Amino acid sequence: MAVLDKFFIKEESVGLNMSQIKVGLPAALLYYYYFPFWFKLFDELNIELVVSDNTSRKLLDKGTKNAISEICVPIKIMVGHILNLKEKEVDYIYLPRFKSLKKGTVMCPKFLGLPDLIKHTFPEFKNIIISDIIKSKSDNISQYHNFINLKEKLNRSKFDMKSALKKSALFWERFRELLFSGYLIDDFLKANNIKSLEKIIADLEQSSLLPQSKQQESFGREEFIDIALIGYVYNVYDSYINMDIIKKCKELGVRVHTFSMVKEEIIESELKKLRKPMFWEFTNKLYGACEYYLKNKRIDGIIHLTAFGCGPDSVLSQILEFDAKNYNKPFMTLRIDEQTGESHIITRIEAFVDLLRLKKEEC
Amino acid sequence: MKLSFPYMGPTIVYAKLLELLGHDIVMPPRPNQEVIDLGVKYSPEFACFPFKVITGTYLKLMEEDVDTFVTSGGHGPCRAGYYGEAHKRILADLGYDVEMIIIDAPSDDYKYFYNILKKLKGNNSWIKVLQTINIVYKMAQALDELERKVEILRAYNKNSKFNKIWMDIEKNFYKIKNLSDVKNLKAKYIDKLSEFNNTIPAEKERYRIGIVGEIFVVLEKSINYQIEEKVNYFGFETERSQYLSEWIKENIIPFAGRDLEKIANKGREFIEINIGGHARENIGHILDFKERGFDGIIHLKPFACLPELISQSVADSISEKYDIPILTISIDEQTADANILTRIEAFLDMIREKRYREVV
Repeated sequence: MAVLDKFFIKEESVGLNMSQIKVGLPAALLYYYYFPFWFKLFDELNIELVVSDNTSRKLLDKGTKNAISEICVPIKIMVGHILNLKEKEVDYIYLPRFKSLKKGTVMCPKFLGLPDLIKHTFPEFKNIIISDIIKSKSDNISQYHNFINLKEKLNRSKFDMKSALKKSALFWERFRELLFSGYLIDDFLKANNIKSLEKIIADLEQSSLLPQSKQQESFGREEFIDIALIGYVYNVYDSYINMDIIKKCKELGVRVHTFSMVKEEIIESELKKLRKPMFWEFTNKLYGACEYYLKNKRIDGIIHLTAFGCGPDSVLSQILEFDAKNYNKPFMTLRIDEQTGESHIITRIEAFVDLLRLKKEEC
Repeated sequence: MKLSFPYMGPTIVYAKLLELLGHDIVMPPRPNQEVIDLGVKYSPEFACFPFKVITGTYLKLMEEDVDTFVTSGGHGPCRAGYYGEAHKRILADLGYDVEMIIIDAPSDDYKYFYNILKKLKGNNSWIKVLQTINIVYKMAQALDELERKVEILRAYNKNSKFNKIWMDIEKNFYKIKNLSDVKNLKAKYIDKLSEFNNTIPAEKERYRIGIVGEIFVVLEKSINYQIEEKVNYFGFETERSQYLSEWIKENIIPFAGRDLEKIANKGREFIEINIGGHARENIGHILDFKERGFDGIIHLKPFACLPELISQSVADSISEKYDIPILTISIDEQTADANILTRIEAFLDMIREKRYREVV
C-alpha cells in the first residue's frame, strides 16, 4: 500500500512542480542544534532549502525594530532572520514549535509561543509558516507525528516522510557523536548545504587530529587553559552576537568546552541530585553540564554566556554562582545584547584568562 | 514553628487559613519601598519583579524570627514555579536557616506533598481542615464580591471614602471565626455599599476598563501603582481578570466549574497551546471583556515576564481585529508614579474621544 501511495504522490507532485518549492529555514535559535537534521531531511525530500544569512548588523536592526522592545535578543535575532527569508522569496518558512524534548520538561515560554508571535506580528506570514508542534521523549525529534503539517504542505507520502526522517536521524546522530567526542558546533557551521556538511562530517570522522578541546600541544609559549563556556547554542555559536567569543578564546590559548560535549547520562545523573529539576529542557542541560565541569579537575574556569532578558538564565545563573562558590571554581557571567562594542568582551575574557593562568601557576 | 508567606492580594485569606489551623503566624509586611529595595539588592538582576518583591518580603520577615515560609510551587513553563527553590538558596547563602514549604501539585511528588500536608494540618482532624478551607473560601468569595462593587462605585465617588470602607472591610474580616460571621459581615457591607447605588449613572454614560495580566501584579495594589484607584479616579469602572476566590475555585476546590478553561479556549485563536502563566487565559479575558461591552483593556506585566511577552506581541493584532484599545504597562522596581498617571490619563482620554466619535 505504502509503495503504491508513494508512486501516486510522486506523479502528482511532478505535475504541480512541487520540486521547485523553496522552503526557508531561519538560522537562529535551535538551528545550531538541529541543522544537520533539517539539511538532510529537506535533501531527502528533494526540496530546495534556503537558509537565512548569517546574523549581521542589518539583520539584527530589523529584528530589533520589529519585535517588542523588552523581549530577549535571541528572539529579536529570530525575527530578523525571518524577515531576511522573506526577502529571499521563499514559498514557505519552516518554524517548528518546540514543546518538549523530555517527559516532564518544556521549552521556554517564548519558544512555545514563537509561531504565534511571528504570525501576529506579521499577519502576511500567516499562511507561509509551517509550524508543527515538536514533542519528543529525547533530543531525537525524528518521530513522524512531529512532521505531519510539513508533510501535508509539501505533499509527500507518509512513506517518503518516514524514510527521510529515518535517514536524517541517523545523519544527525553522527553529528552528535562528533560533538560528544569534543568538536564544537562551530566546526560544522561553515557548511551551508548538505554536500559540504556531509564532507565535513566524513572528514572529521576519518581525521586523526584531535578536536580543539583535546589538543595537547599549544602553538606558542603558554600552556593551555580549559574553560567551560556554558550557554545556549544560539548564544555560543552565533558568532556575530557574541562577538566571536570562541575564536577569541582560542587565540588566547584556551580550550573551549561546551554543554554539547557532555553525554546525556552524565547530565541526567547530575539532575537527579536536585529535589526539583527546572522545567526548561536546555536550562537543565546547562545545569547538568556545568555541575559536571565544576567537579572536573581539568577545567580551570567557567564562563556563563547569557543574553539580556533571558528568563530561565536569571534563575540558573544564581544557582550556578552559588555552586561555583562551593566548589571554589572561578566563575564569570558574560551578558550579551544588541550592542556591538567588542572591546568590553575582549577585556573581560583577557582578564579572566590571565587570572586563571595566575591561579594555575601558583598551584 | 513561626510561619509566614508572601504578600499577594487579600493576604488576610491565607493568614486566616493558617491561623484557624492553629499555627503561629506572622503577618507579612505590605510591599513598600524598603521591602522592594531589599529584594532588588539580593535577587538576580533579571529575575522578574514579583520574585524580587517576595525576596524582600522574606528578608524583612527575618527580622521577626520567622523560621518557615509557605509558598506555592508549580510546574513551569513560567519561572514562578521555581521561585521557592531559588529563594531557598538565596536565603541559605545569606546565612538564614529557614524551612520552605513549597506547595507543588501532588502529581509531581506524592510523598513530598503528603508530608507538607501533614505538617500544615498539625493536630487538626481532616474534617476540621475541610471546614476551615470552606470558611476561608467563603471569606475570599465575600471579599471579592465586595471588591467588585467597590471597583464600580469608586468611579463615581470620592476615592478616599471607598478606600476607607475597604480598609474597614479587611480589618473586620480578619476577626471572623466561623461561617455565620462571614455571612453577617458580608450582608452588613453589601447594605452599606448599596446606599451609594444611586450614584451610578445611566448605562450609556458608564465606561468600563478590564484589567488583565500576570496574577501577582494584577492582584497586588501596592506594586501595581494602585492602578485601579487611578482608573477609578478618572470616572472609569474597573474589573480584573483575576480574583483570589476564582483562583482557589479553579485550582484547589475539586469538581467546581472550570470557567477558566472556557475562557482560555477563546484565546486559542491567538495563542495555540498553553505557554505557561496566564498568557492564554489573558487573551481569552480580553475577548471576554470585549463581548461584555468593555471600552478598553489595561494589560499589566512584570518587566521581561516570559509568557506575557508573547501575549503582548499578539495584543496589537487583537486590538485591531476586535476594535478594542489595549494599553500594556510593564512593572518593575521603578516608582515613577507621574509617568503611569500620564499614560493612563492619555489612554482614558482616548477612549472617551473614541466613543464620542462613534456616537457622532
